[in-house]
Amino acid sequence: MSDLLETYVRPEKNPGTACKGCGLRLAHRNVLEAIDELKLSTGDVVWGTGIGCSGRQTFATWRGDTFAGTHGRVYAMATGLRLALPPEKRLILTVGDGDAFTIGFLHLLNAARRNVDMTVVVFDNLGYQSTGGQYGVTTPLGSRTDSSPYGAWEPNWTQGGFDVLRILKEAGATFLARHTVLQGHEPVESLKKAIGNRGFSLVQLIYPCVTHFGVQALETRNIATVYDWFRERTSDDLAADSNTHFTTGIVHDAAGSRPEFSVAVRDFVASVQKGGSRGGTN
Amino acid sequence: MVARIEILISGFGGQGVVRIGQILGQAAVNQGLYTTMLISHGTETRGGYVRSQVVISDAFIDSPVVENPAYFCAFSPIAYGMFKHLCNRQTVILHNPNLVTADPASDACHRAIAGETLAERELGNAQYANVIYLGVLSAHCGLLVPEHIVTAIRQRLPERSHENNIRAFELGREYTL
Amino acid sequence: MKRIFDTGNAAITEGAIRAGCNLFAGYPITPATEIAENMSRRLPQVGGYYLQAEDENAALHICNGGSIGGLKAMTATSGPGFILFADAFGWAVSSEVPVVIVNSQRVGPVSGITGAPGQGEFYLSRYLTHGGNYETIVLAPASVQEAYRLTVRAFALAERFRTPVIVLADQMVTDGWETLELPETDDEFAALGLEVVPRRINPGPEFYPASDEIDVPPVVLGHNTGAACSDWTPTDRGHDTEDITWQHKHAWRLIHKIVNNRQLIDEADEWFLDDDPEIILVGYGTPSRVIRSAVGEARKSGLKVGGIRLISLWPFQSHLFTRTACYLVVELNWDGQLVREVERAAADGSNVHFWGRCGELPSMAELLDTVRQLLDNEPLQRDGWRTEKW
Repeated sequence: MSDLLETYVRPEKNPGTACKGCGLRLAHRNVLEAIDELKLSTGDVVWGTGIGCSGRQTFATWRGDTFAGTHGRVYAMATGLRLALPPEKRLILTVGDGDAFTIGFLHLLNAARRNVDMTVVVFDNLGYQSTGGQYGVTTPLGSRTDSSPYGAWEPNWTQGGFDVLRILKEAGATFLARHTVLQGHEPVESLKKAIGNRGFSLVQLIYPCVTHFGVQALETRNIATVYDWFRERTSDDLAADSNTHFTTGIVHDAAGSRPEFSVAVRDFVASVQKGGSRGGTN
Repeated sequence: MVARIEILISGFGGQGVVRIGQILGQAAVNQGLYTTMLISHGTETRGGYVRSQVVISDAFIDSPVVENPAYFCAFSPIAYGMFKHLCNRQTVILHNPNLVTADPASDACHRAIAGETLAERELGNAQYANVIYLGVLSAHCGLLVPEHIVTAIRQRLPERSHENNIRAFELGREYTL
Repeated sequence: MKRIFDTGNAAITEGAIRAGCNLFAGYPITPATEIAENMSRRLPQVGGYYLQAEDENAALHICNGGSIGGLKAMTATSGPGFILFADAFGWAVSSEVPVVIVNSQRVGPVSGITGAPGQGEFYLSRYLTHGGNYETIVLAPASVQEAYRLTVRAFALAERFRTPVIVLADQMVTDGWETLELPETDDEFAALGLEVVPRRINPGPEFYPASDEIDVPPVVLGHNTGAACSDWTPTDRGHDTEDITWQHKHAWRLIHKIVNNRQLIDEADEWFLDDDPEIILVGYGTPSRVIRSAVGEARKSGLKVGGIRLISLWPFQSHLFTRTACYLVVELNWDGQLVREVERAAADGSNVHFWGRCGELPSMAELLDTVRQLLDNEPLQRDGWRTEKW
């Protein structure tokens, strides 16, 4: 890990300011490992972030070029940025579950629809933790948070037969995976595939928040107890009961099945410049 | 040569109110004049109220507002009711008597032209009425050279309708007021 | 020069293309839809990209994203879309991103009346985002020809000042058809006082200097300069900080790069101000053309009337109102917006009056009536929102 940090992370941002026991460090490391194993250098990747714990902890850590968007809009920004970047440049966004699945979901869906080449890594801490712990759309039902003192009861997008990744699949995403950060090298393998996909990829990486989720929902400050809860809830079987488990694995791999947006736009522009036009309604 | 001439065209959506304005403006530009045309429309669908305010001058036009119209093409009772107060003794109001009845209290010069009927009879389609009114206006006004208007028709209207529209324009010019 | 007959929407499109715009993202809205349509046709012809965004919020964010990648980006909208820019506009202001925003003002609030002109976003354009600590550049065309010129200018100012520039038009300018002269050669283009400022790339590591200097190359990602830009208060390297000293430096730059170089932005027409005007008519956009006609007509009848037409709205040109006089501010709204700023700026002893209406331009006759009433010290028949009753 120290090598990875030296290679890829700005020294003034190391160590970060995450809470004691925060699983975000593991998630961050997973991404760096994937980049490293793909033998990418700082110049090969532009790194963007959203708002919340994930944004605060990862913005400007990347030694290369980096940006942070407004809350939930980084997918729209990345769509514009993608048109400006050379196709081989990798565009990685580390964002939170709130950023991606609630405030920014419209833009996320449209980035998936267009199949814009970007890798969205959702650092999912099961709710709004940077504001002190309120429930979101990945917070397990029944969880006590600061805004669900009687237990979270609003339908979410991970239980009760719903899966937010399935919505993204229908929207046109070409690579989708879900893991917890307690699965060793598995998330890294999925991240490598995601980053390698020339299209819209999203990896949901569930990680433990001790400070808020641990204390409020699990009623413990004990880091090991919190991590054990996450480990026990993690299932390698995507078909397992999502009401009781984080079902993990590659949800959808359709890499290369659809034209990538920036490539398609460039092709379209070139065809117009050659005097061609696209008629018909197909 | 020409200090400033104001033309008001108003009616329902779909009557070619904007088209006439565009042809007049284009013809003015073709003739080396300055022109402005403001478009107002109440709704985004056909059938709403539409107004074109056209000003033509040999110098840059400051106010684009029509407040002393030399001509008013009144294509609907609503349009006529709304704008007849702007018209005075010097104004010529072109209107379809089947749609718009002249207000006896108005001292403007009303010219009733059954443009739709004529268009239907001569060209088989009432849609060409607007260009007939344009022809009448052009013959009466004399400011714009007819050749420039014909060129403008070719520039501003779809090619398949050029022949009929130019015929409609000529019908209007030949119309005896 | 090529002399054509076309709309303000077309003029804005051609101005943008001439200025090197190669990314447009927008969402259809009356009366700015035609700008999007024109861009969808023109941009691919010149190798640029047209995107139809999922909403206006996304539209400006796509522009911001394109701009930090090195593209020259523009969006266009009307009031209901303009308000959705708040988020992305703030990002562009704070991250110092060049981008051009066109707003064709219609009648509001909210959807209001789609196809009629209004001037309700005078203040909103100044404060299109929250948080303060910044200045804004806003240009207001009054004709199709000027819509072309100011669009080109907006791109140049956006690059030089590293900031979003707003072209605040109105429905009459964008939907209106008019004689338009387009330069065909570089000489003709330069003769209009116009320039194209190409995108430069900031080499770093000082991406956000704590100075008021302009012509600092913008932050551009993808060139491995270690560029960092974000919504957070930046250090000079672009790193996020909660240090209030950095915040002060950042705010100082956002304000003073504009006010200290405002001579590059300020623009106005003044009519008969040196000839002892008893009344000065003030306006911007299409109503200012009626003002000019009214001033000319008043002078013909021997009335001592002058006029001021603001071409750049923000930063506000207070220096134009240092003369003690009677000002009549004409606007396409009922609440009076520009008039408040004129009241603030007018020299002591001035009288500031308001003529407002929405959806319909004033006629010259109406303005001259009001001028005569003011000259005769008659009570105004209508004095904007102050006396109007239904």
